[in-house]
Amino acid sequence: MGSKPIEGERKVFMTGNEAVAWAALAAGADIMYGYPITPQNEIMQYWTRLGPKYDKKFLQTEDELSAGFTTIGGVLTGKRAFTATAGPGNVLMQEPMSMAEAMRIPTVVVIQQRGGPSTGTVIYSQQEVTLTCFGGNGEGLRVVYSTSSHQDLFDYTIKAFNTAWKYRFPTFVLSDGYQAKMRESVVIYDPEARGIQMVPTEPYVGKAGTPGKDRPAAHLRNTYNIEEELLEVLSKDIEEYERVAPEIIEYDAYNTENTDLLVIAHGVVFRSAAMAVKELASQGNKIGYFRPITLRPFPKEQLRQATQQAKQLLVVESAYGQLLKIVKDNLYGLNIPIKTLLRPGVGITPEEIAEKAKALLAGKEA
Amino acid sequence: METKEILPKMPKSWNPASKPHKFCPGCGHGLVLKALGQVIDELNIQDRVVFGCDIGCSLLSWDFFNVDTVQTHHGRTTPVMVGIKRANPDLITIAYMGDGGGYAIGSQHLVNAANRNDIITAILVNNTVYAMTGGQMAPTTMPGQKTETTPYGRDIKEAGYPMLGPEMVAAIAHEGAYVARGSIAKFRQLKTFIKKAIENQMAGRGFSFIEALSTCPTNWRTNAEKTWDFVENIMPKYFPIGEYKVPGGKEE
Amino acid sequence: MPRVIEAYIGEYASGKSENAVNRALELASRGRHVNLVDLDLVEPCYTLRPLKRQLEEKGITVLAWETGEMIGLGEIGNLLRPEVRFCLHRPGDVILDVGYGVFGAQVFNLIEGADRNPDLKVYVVINIARPLTATVPDVVAHVRELGRADGLINNSHLGDETNIEFIQEGARIVDEAARILGIPVVATSVMEDLAPLIGDKDCFGHPVRVLKRFMPRAFW
Repeated sequence: MGSKPIEGERKVFMTGNEAVAWAALAAGADIMYGYPITPQNEIMQYWTRLGPKYDKKFLQTEDELSAGFTTIGGVLTGKRAFTATAGPGNVLMQEPMSMAEAMRIPTVVVIQQRGGPSTGTVIYSQQEVTLTCFGGNGEGLRVVYSTSSHQDLFDYTIKAFNTAWKYRFPTFVLSDGYQAKMRESVVIYDPEARGIQMVPTEPYVGKAGTPGKDRPAAHLRNTYNIEEELLEVLSKDIEEYERVAPEIIEYDAYNTENTDLLVIAHGVVFRSAAMAVKELASQGNKIGYFRPITLRPFPKEQLRQATQQAKQLLVVESAYGQLLKIVKDNLYGLNIPIKTLLRPGVGITPEEIAEKAKALLAGKEA
Repeated sequence: METKEILPKMPKSWNPASKPHKFCPGCGHGLVLKALGQVIDELNIQDRVVFGCDIGCSLLSWDFFNVDTVQTHHGRTTPVMVGIKRANPDLITIAYMGDGGGYAIGSQHLVNAANRNDIITAILVNNTVYAMTGGQMAPTTMPGQKTETTPYGRDIKEAGYPMLGPEMVAAIAHEGAYVARGSIAKFRQLKTFIKKAIENQMAGRGFSFIEALSTCPTNWRTNAEKTWDFVENIMPKYFPIGEYKVPGGKEE
Repeated sequence: MPRVIEAYIGEYASGKSENAVNRALELASRGRHVNLVDLDLVEPCYTLRPLKRQLEEKGITVLAWETGEMIGLGEIGNLLRPEVRFCLHRPGDVILDVGYGVFGAQVFNLIEGADRNPDLKVYVVINIARPLTATVPDVVAHVRELGRADGLINNSHLGDETNIEFIQEGARIVDEAARILGIPVVATSVMEDLAPLIGDKDCFGHPVRVLKRFMPRAFW
């Protein structure tokens, strides 16, 4: 077996979960920790099938708390470590990710959203946006990539390791059960062959030398004695997060100049939105779309610019206003009507979006 | 300097900058950490140890040693140490926790790390109370013992029985595991147990678990004499001291 | 008239269900009585269930749970439907859609009489766009790991981006693997839009089966 899982690049046909496992391999991830939950299981199943061939490790933990905290442990040794979860597992995952946020530990977590609240359903949803962006008892100092295709899943899983290790904020790849299970073609590649340099890692603990003699001991803390002490650390982290945000932010936009209607969607719903918008635009309508790829940090200025050229907005998501809340927050102060198509936990077709958009364009719907 | 001679001898692996330590007068943590410090020195492993401390009074040990140390969350020290060990088996990982962290909120991690025979060492300090939060009932509070949440004494019909940790871990642990209960009242024996536990990890044999009976005069509201009597005479009646599992099966 | 008893087995997302469904429909269109059996025990919520009614309307007996009958879309365990266990005792043809998983052909231990049924054929569906079955040695190793195989089906494709060259490359790899394994290539499967471009035989002379796409509708 070759030392590299992928030589050069090749086009393959696979599910989204497999694309994640291959991407983690391609990115040089060393170890995965995980607990079974639908719909992310095949990430673990493919990692464990492929891993031994490339000297990669895996630990199946007792729950998602443990999966998150063992992932933190793996990262502390300077390894690219990751985990994957969904739904109720994502709820438990917020405790360890809060620690990663506090201690600037570059964990990578893949979320395959499922329907909620509670156990809900297992295939499809966009209801973990708030949880993934702002979960934990903190300020949401994390990076969240929302994917909408297998190519995204492959590309952004690799990128997640680099973003995490470059900026030292916990990084999430936010997908959903539909993308996880759907089959489509994807080009998998060795990042190096594409000129993508993997950001080097370094251990937080177990560096060379005897602590106290050759080097200071690493005393890594997340607890503070006085409020000002916490504020000082947090202010520095927030300042840094705000400063690097423009480098991290990604979005996609189409036809945003002087639109009668700007459709805003992310993730798998964006696929439907893009189809509907392009169809209506081809019929001569002044309609465009805006897709945030990073939900945290959010492409605020770019959305505000697009919004200032639009007559009204349509936010579409498979949740009851989680993206909507972020959009409103980022558009504060702009006077623009915001219409919605909110379908928590179920899919949205291009036809449904087109129908809603047509009604809005015709002024038939207030 | 003259005063040097009367200073207690500190283990080399201790961090002098954080001394005197902040544990209460009469607290047992200092003795457990002294035993651990001496063991680290004797085994010459200061450069390989990663020490993880739980939330609770055990957190006060976070800068206690000149070894790499990670504060974790309440109950989550075991998985962090497991994660480190799995990713870098050359390191010697020591999870340090109280009875609440190990037997209540983090019990699933203790049980599963023991059952997987993870090559880590867990040291759990049993002082029968939640001390840092102000003396509430712990999983190890003795029958009849008064705490802030058992104001009339622990009624085992209502609040259940104290957790017998080493007995439980030994019952589920596998060949290669080392399990013992020591006491700060028997310092040399406790240190031997801790040393065997870390040597067991270094030999790669299996999970190592030490419960240390300890004192909390602050929350027990006891004077020196009563404190010592409780840890030396009363606690072992419910929590017998000794080795519960050794590789090869020859418990002391 | 001999019974047709075929099991479609193979790597995850290799096209087992698509081939099984199309085979069942083809047999039914010739007036045969067909039982289509869902034996996916690893990922049970994404198989034939959503198609059940549609297939039943075409006269096929579908032995599968309906999505709505399963708690949490299969979240609560992989329940084997009792009549699946006895499917070989039913009159008519039997087409088994077997899920993927590490147990391979051991799944037939769950079917009464499978071990001594002389008519049962186990066909392995191969798509060379699947990374773990992309080369001749990989296909041979994969098929041997399954434990039983009576024939191979070349189902090589890249979804919407499939072309004839890719299918023929699949035929070449599958043909060579079949020779090494000492089993026949049963067919090359081709989506209906590309079928006119390839004719009724692939470049190795293996018969072409034309597929209609059903499985995308099996989501949600």
